[in-house]
Parts: sequence; structure tokens; C-alpha cells
Amino acid sequence: MDKKNIRVFFEKKDRAIYMSHLDLLRTMQRALKRSGLPVWYSEGFNPRIYLNFPLALSLGVEGEREPMDMAVVEDVSLAEIAEKLDSACPEGIRIISAEYPVHPNKDIGFAEYRSFFSGEPSAIKAALDSFCDLPSINVMKHSKKKGMIEVDIKPHINILSVSEADMGITLEYRLPAGNELNLNSAVVTDAFLKYCGEVGINVELSCTKRTKILCSDGADFA
Amino acid sequence: MENLREKIEKLLLRVKSPSRYIGGELNSVVKDKSKVDVRFAFCFPDSYDVGMSHIGMKILYSLKNARENWWCERVFAPWTDFEELMRENDIPLYGLESLDPIREFDFIGFTVQYELCYTNILNMLDLAGLKVLASERSDSDPIVIAGGPCVCNPEPLCDFIDLFVIGEGEEVNIELMELYEQMKKSGEYSKKDFLLRAAGIEGIYVPSLYNVSCLEDGRINKVTPVCEGVPERVTKRIIADLDKVFYPESFVVPFSEIVHDRAVVEVLRGCIRGCRFCQAGFIYRPFREKSSGTIINEAKSLCESTGYEELSLSSLSTSDHSDIEEMLTEMTEYTEGNRINLALPSMRMDRFNKNLMEQLSKVRKSGLTFAPEAGTQRLRDVINKNITEEEIMSACKTAFEGGYAGVKLYFMMGLPTETDEDIIGIADLAKRIADLYFNIPNRPRGQKLSISISCATFVPKPFTPFQFEPQISIDEINRRQKLLLDSTKGKRYINVSYHNYRISVLEAALAKGDRRLGAVIKRAWERGCKFDGWDEMYRYDEWMNAFADTGTDIDFYAHRPMDFDETAPWEHLDYMIDKSFFVRENKKAKEGKTTKCCRERCCGCGVNKAAGRECFG
Repeated sequence: MDKKNIRVFFEKKDRAIYMSHLDLLRTMQRALKRSGLPVWYSEGFNPRIYLNFPLALSLGVEGEREPMDMAVVEDVSLAEIAEKLDSACPEGIRIISAEYPVHPNKDIGFAEYRSFFSGEPSAIKAALDSFCDLPSINVMKHSKKKGMIEVDIKPHINILSVSEADMGITLEYRLPAGNELNLNSAVVTDAFLKYCGEVGINVELSCTKRTKILCSDGADFA
Repeated sequence: MENLREKIEKLLLRVKSPSRYIGGELNSVVKDKSKVDVRFAFCFPDSYDVGMSHIGMKILYSLKNARENWWCERVFAPWTDFEELMRENDIPLYGLESLDPIREFDFIGFTVQYELCYTNILNMLDLAGLKVLASERSDSDPIVIAGGPCVCNPEPLCDFIDLFVIGEGEEVNIELMELYEQMKKSGEYSKKDFLLRAAGIEGIYVPSLYNVSCLEDGRINKVTPVCEGVPERVTKRIIADLDKVFYPESFVVPFSEIVHDRAVVEVLRGCIRGCRFCQAGFIYRPFREKSSGTIINEAKSLCESTGYEELSLSSLSTSDHSDIEEMLTEMTEYTEGNRINLALPSMRMDRFNKNLMEQLSKVRKSGLTFAPEAGTQRLRDVINKNITEEEIMSACKTAFEGGYAGVKLYFMMGLPTETDEDIIGIADLAKRIADLYFNIPNRPRGQKLSISISCATFVPKPFTPFQFEPQISIDEINRRQKLLLDSTKGKRYINVSYHNYRISVLEAALAKGDRRLGAVIKRAWERGCKFDGWDEMYRYDEWMNAFADTGTDIDFYAHRPMDFDETAPWEHLDYMIDKSFFVRENKKAKEGKTTKCCRERCCGCGVNKAAGRECFG
């Protein structure tokens, strides 16, 4: 049988959020090895279990449904792949499903996040409103060609919902993702925390979760 | 304590490699603490990346956790960024499995692998919220124990540690914990009584139960037990049969990258070679092998439970396993079939041949490293390396013909009797190896020759024939380093690197030190010294200040030759090798005479009599 591409969707939470992208790569390679699945190895001088993450997840951010691409070289059902890999994964990583990939990676256009800010809810809400009313939100960004440059991220932040809770607020937002333009959630949350500091609002970021990855046309990345 | 975990998690995104500090790794052992009777904090006094690579810790961790009602957890020295945050936020040192503070545990055990981690031991005790001095800790504080190769001379650590485990730990650790559990259950426990009874277990050294007296010139007079029931000499423990001793079926698999990130099977203990500078070669005697069958079974189970793609066969000299070639044939069948890379550190040049090399290159080609240790045959004979120039050349020829274009060579500088000729000899040897390379018609094309010379400074160590030798002075080592650099000038394929000599001199003092160095270590730690084995962290000036503050002369320990009849600080510990053997070997070294390896002829070190066993057959 020729190699068959598989896209696995997994959840990354709890202590697993402290794994960096490279940690996750190693961890998944070993999980695949332990699973005993007939995985495809990359060719070349140092053959390795083939693995690819269509969109890297930052250290510290939870993932609700993250994609990981791999390939198998023998006939094996999607359910069996999901089950075997799941039982080989460490705490905090759960395999949701294994599927045949629908979209190529380059189709990725957006990602959605949910952040919880703890503090006095009405104060944070007010700070958020005035933060969004700023004419521009400038942050320093590292550019390969020009070194550190200042960019305005305001046009890229799409707030989906704000809800107040007992101990803070939940913010849902959509950011550009993928090869063309990628905006890290931490850039946005850091900018907001910095702004809160400037206007004297006491707030902490409790957690951020990536909830969805979307194609440029708005369809769920599958 | 839910609270502590929350406090830790709040800080993790502010430090490097946070997955090191939160546990939850695959195969880590979590138990219900309400069902646990004895809790053990296994501390490695260095960073997670270093400690997690250590095989002894993996063995004892699994061994202790095999008891249902005992729980052993892992603890490492937090790197400075996280230590700072821990101190700021009142987070005490905790075990990675439960995230509970280790000051609540029954035992805190340190494995002491090298002298340069001593300040980390103090720092970890302090971070745990305990007094660093054993005499100031209370009855309800954990018992602080230490083992590992450095405790063959534990004297510099006596102020800080309640008891030392001498020799191999698999059996004696269990006996010690059983005694504790029994005394706790019967209500007889007090720390004082426990230590007294522990001192009766073979291989346990309780330093507070011994008096040390000195001569007027500062040398040791004698070490005597303070009361009856405490042995005059403590004999190390050894495991009789490596095929029967416990070996873990799984390792904790870290998330972050560690130094040796692979499955490891120990293939043998002890060494038949008798290199005169090498402490490990003597303190781990007698020579014992695991059978090939055991090695292969252990390798398979480890690879399957961890998912590691690299397997290492570990020992002091793996190529000395009597069944090496057949074992490797069978092993590579397994590793190749499962796409596992096989690493064989510690191969001797005289055992390196085409067959071995091909086994090694089958999965992936990594670099080749050899250790001639000295540049001339005369000096190699002095140190009893028992490697000839022909063997070095033949090993390199095999490597070059097999497609390697580079070798890494380990040497030592400052060895007893060393002259300038021996230093220049290192450069000449490298040049002859280069000539050999250029004269090989079928040498690898398109690759540049690279000969790396890595030069360590000789450190005289207890329980070696060179324990009597002084380390050479700092000025002299600088001069010899420069001489080597001058001798290799203009040869672009030769690359020379050194160990930091200022670290080696401290290593020498601590290795041969006595109880008076406890005050120096404490002072150095108070002055901020930690992670002394890390070049970028080492603070030579602060250590020198600590020696000055305490009125201690470093030269007395590092640079003074010892008479054969002088009482060494470690002489009340019995590592089963006769002192007369070390004296004999030292004299032979000075005459440039070699001693055959144990398999060819028994050198009469005394271990077979002490251990009551034949070394071979």
C-alpha cells in the first residue's frame, strides 16, 4: 500500500500547555512509536517518523482541536489510529479523531481564541472598550528583514464576544493565522495587559485557549 | 496542596523550558498519598536536563516505587530564573510527582555524581525550607541521605548529610527504608535512634557517629566511632548478580530535551582495565556482566515503553563485555528492524574494528570519539592506559576507510611525570593521524578532515593509584596549554578545546578534602556559588574568598603530595581495594611499567577476597 495521509485532531490542555512546540513534536513522535501504528518515515539521511503541525500552538496556550498530519503505510482504520495513538499519549493530550485531510495547510486563514482575564469584571470590561476604541494598537514585532519594527495590530483583531463572569471576563476573538499573516494570541493579550497597566486596572491573564482553526473562506479547517 | 500547584503554574510562563517544573511526564509514578507510608524525595543536585539523563536515579526511582506503600519522587535543582521566582513567591522545593513540598517527606536523598554539585545540595536544602546543617535540623525534619560515586570520600559533606550510602544502592536503600518504616510503625522512631540502628546496616555511614582527630600539621590522625555498635570501617555494598538485580522496564520520558535523551541499558559494572587515574575503574569493582539475553530483553522493554528512537549500551567499557560481538549482532537485528539508533559510548580503541563500526553505522552515523588520554607511549604506560600507537592508528584507519572524516580525541593534561615532550606528543599524534588520513586512497571525498582534541586537567581522586599525587599549579597548566596550542599552530584541521582549569582545581580540593571543607562549601554557597560545574555559572573568585574567609588553604588539598603512610580522610571507608595495591600501582607508574588487564592476569587489588567471589568464570 502507498502511504496514506492522515490528519489527527487532538486536545492539549492542563500541564501539557507547558510543552513547547519542539517538546510536542518529540512527544508525538514517541507516542506514535509506542502506539505500534504502521507510520510512514521520512526519507533521507536521518529517517524520522513523519509529523507535521499545520499551525504551531504557542507555549502556554490550550488547544481545543489541534491538527497534526502524519501518514500510514498499511491499511488501518481511522478509529484504530485515534484509539491507539490516544492510549500512547501522556496526560493533557487527548486524541479526538483521525481523519483524511480535506484542506491543504495553505488554506489556513484564521484562528479563534478564548482568553479569560481575572479581576474586577466591570473594570476590565471598561478597559477593554476603551482599548478597542484606541485609534491604533502598536506593538513591536521582529521582522526577518528589518529587525524590530512597530506594527499596528488593531485592524487584525476581530472581537467575537465579551462576557462577564464572577471573577473576570471571557473574551473570544479571531486573529489572522497561516503563512500570509499570522498573529499570535499572546501579542494581543500582552498589548491589552500593558494597556490595563497604563490606565491602572488590575488584571491578570488566567488562560488562553485556541478554539478553532479556520480556512481563509471561513470554513472549519478539516 | 492545590494552592502550591496554582502558585507554580502562575510563574511557569516566565521561565525557560517550563515543562521541567510541573511533572506529568509519561511513566511518572503518581500514588494516593493517604495509602503511602514512606515518602522519598530523590534529589539530583543539578538541572533537570542533566539529572534526568542519569541512569542510577531511574533504577532507584522504579525500585522504590515498586513497593506499594512507598512513594519516590524526582527533584532537581531549578535553574536560576525559576529559583528566583520560587524564592520571591515562597514556593518551597517540591517533588515533581505530587507537587508537595519535600520538607514534608520522610527521606531526602541526593545522588552525588561530581564534586561540583556540592553547593547545589545546600541550595536545594535551603529551597526546601530546611537548615543546611544536619546538626540544626530537628527530629521531625526528613532524614537527609546521599550516595553515588563522590561519597567514596563524603567527608566534605559531613556537616550537611545525616547518613551516606556507600557502594551500590539497590539493596541497601530498601533495607534502610524498611528499618525506618518498622521504627515508625512501632513508635520507636527518633532520628537519633534511627541513625544509630542504620549505622549497623552494612554500607551505611553515619558521619555524626565518628570522631576525626588531626595531627599538628593538619593531616588526619585517625577516625574513630563514638560508641559501640558502630563499625570502625564501613564496607561498600555490591550486587552479586546483575542478571537478577532490579532493572526498570520503563523510564520517565521528559517533554523537554535532556542531555542523554534515550533508552539506556547498563551492560556491566566494574572495569577490567585499571587506568591509574580513573576512580570509577576502581570503586565499581568487581567486574560483573549482565548476560546478553538480559541486556536484549531489557532493551526491548525499555524501547517499547518509552518510544525512544535511540538506545545506548552503557558501562565503563562496553567493548569489554565478553559476548559483545554476538550480543551486538542480535541487538542490531532488533534496533534496525524497529528503526532505533544504537549508541555505544565507552568503546576502547583496541577493541574497535570494522565489524563493530559497521554495527554502529547501520542506523545512523554519529561522530567517533576515542580516548588515548596521553600523547606519548611513555605516558600512556605511566597511566596504564594499555593502548599502543599502532592500535590508535588502526582504529583511526578503520574509521576513515569506513567513511568517517573526523575523530574526537580525549586527553588529560597535568598527569603525573608529564613533560613538555608529552604535550608536544599530543600534537604530533594528531598530525600522524592526519597523515594517515591523507594517505588513504579510498578516504571519504568531499568532506574535510577534522581532528578535535579535547583536553581535561588531571584531577587526583581517592581510591586510585594517583590519590597520592598533587595537582599541578595553575601557572604550570596555563603554560602547558599554551605549549599545546603552539604545537598545533598552522594545522587548520586540528581543533583544541580545554576544560576550565579553575574548575579542576576546586574539583581536586573537594575530591580529596576532609571535614574542614564543610565550612568552605557553606561559605561559598552563602556567597552565591551554585551550579559550579557550569562554566558560565562558576565563580572562582567567590570560592577563593570562601577559602580565605574560613582560613582554609586550598593548596593543602589540591597541590600537596600525600605520603603513602598518611591517613587519607576517606580511609575508614572500605571500597574493597587494598591500599597496598594502590601504593604498588603508584610505584609501577613512576617506573613506567604497565599492569595487565584483569582478564589476562589478576592484578591482586583485593576485591575478589573482600567480595568473596572470583571475578571471572
